[in-house]
Amino acid sequence: MWYSLVVETPAVIERISELLDRDGLQTSNTSMRIPTALRDAAALAVGELGVAASTTALTTAALRATLEAVVMQAVLDAHYEHHPKARPDLGDLAVAAAELDGHPLAAEPERLRRAAAEIVEKHPDASPDDVLLWAEARALSAA
Amino acid sequence: MSWIVVLDNEAVQAVQNPAHPKHRQMVSLAQVVASRKRRAVSVEVAVPTAVRVEAGWDRTSPAWVFPNRLRITDVPLDTARASTAAAIRHRIGVSVADAHLGAVIQSTSAGQQITVVTSDPGDIRLVAGDRDMTVVAI
Repeated sequence: MWYSLVVETPAVIERISELLDRDGLQTSNTSMRIPTALRDAAALAVGELGVAASTTALTTAALRATLEAVVMQAVLDAHYEHHPKARPDLGDLAVAAAELDGHPLAAEPERLRRAAAEIVEKHPDASPDDVLLWAEARALSAA
Repeated sequence: MSWIVVLDNEAVQAVQNPAHPKHRQMVSLAQVVASRKRRAVSVEVAVPTAVRVEAGWDRTSPAWVFPNRLRITDVPLDTARASTAAAIRHRIGVSVADAHLGAVIQSTSAGQQITVVTSDPGDIRLVAGDRDMTVVAI
């Protein structure tokens, strides 16, 4: 089983990636049972908030994003295995999140790294966004 | 709102080469993008094809397997972007790759959030015109 997973997972990831690259012109009808409340919430979000052109478009976009995340994470995990020094720590990720978002604290990476070091002691599963919030709160209280 | 993250030549080089001094920074950015996608954020990482040429990124080469697998999409130099890029290059005198990058920035829709990862923020601000964007310096 372990051997099978190790050998087959990269091929599966590659195949998922290929399928995601194909254009979306060819479609299929599908019957999925989803919670009624979720369906109704999606219909409201589309109809009243205009978050997507249709509930189908909303569902498709969410599914695509999730599958792309799965592929990217598998590729990154394999890369970390071969190049351990490339694996970012929580401080690196907090800085990257701030940079991508254009957050003002992106200009203070050392403050973010300190906040990451503080928060990870009590919350080992903290996310980069948790670090940003923590660093922001510390900056406000210090002002 | 959709979000596009565009890479310049140096950013591409840094992703590809684990020995590049900015490799870990680029991997961190990719990791954050993957986390955002997992939360169903509509975010796409893209590379203008002229940037890919300048960087030597051949998608058929085994040397580029890691960037190939990171779901970084090509933005082609189509007719409209070629005209915009030509005007940018004529006006500012930047490289073809940077002019294409500027055309990509300028062709994004008003509602689209754009982030550019670059080693030359000054040039990118020049080619972007008055388009509002976030610049990540590497």
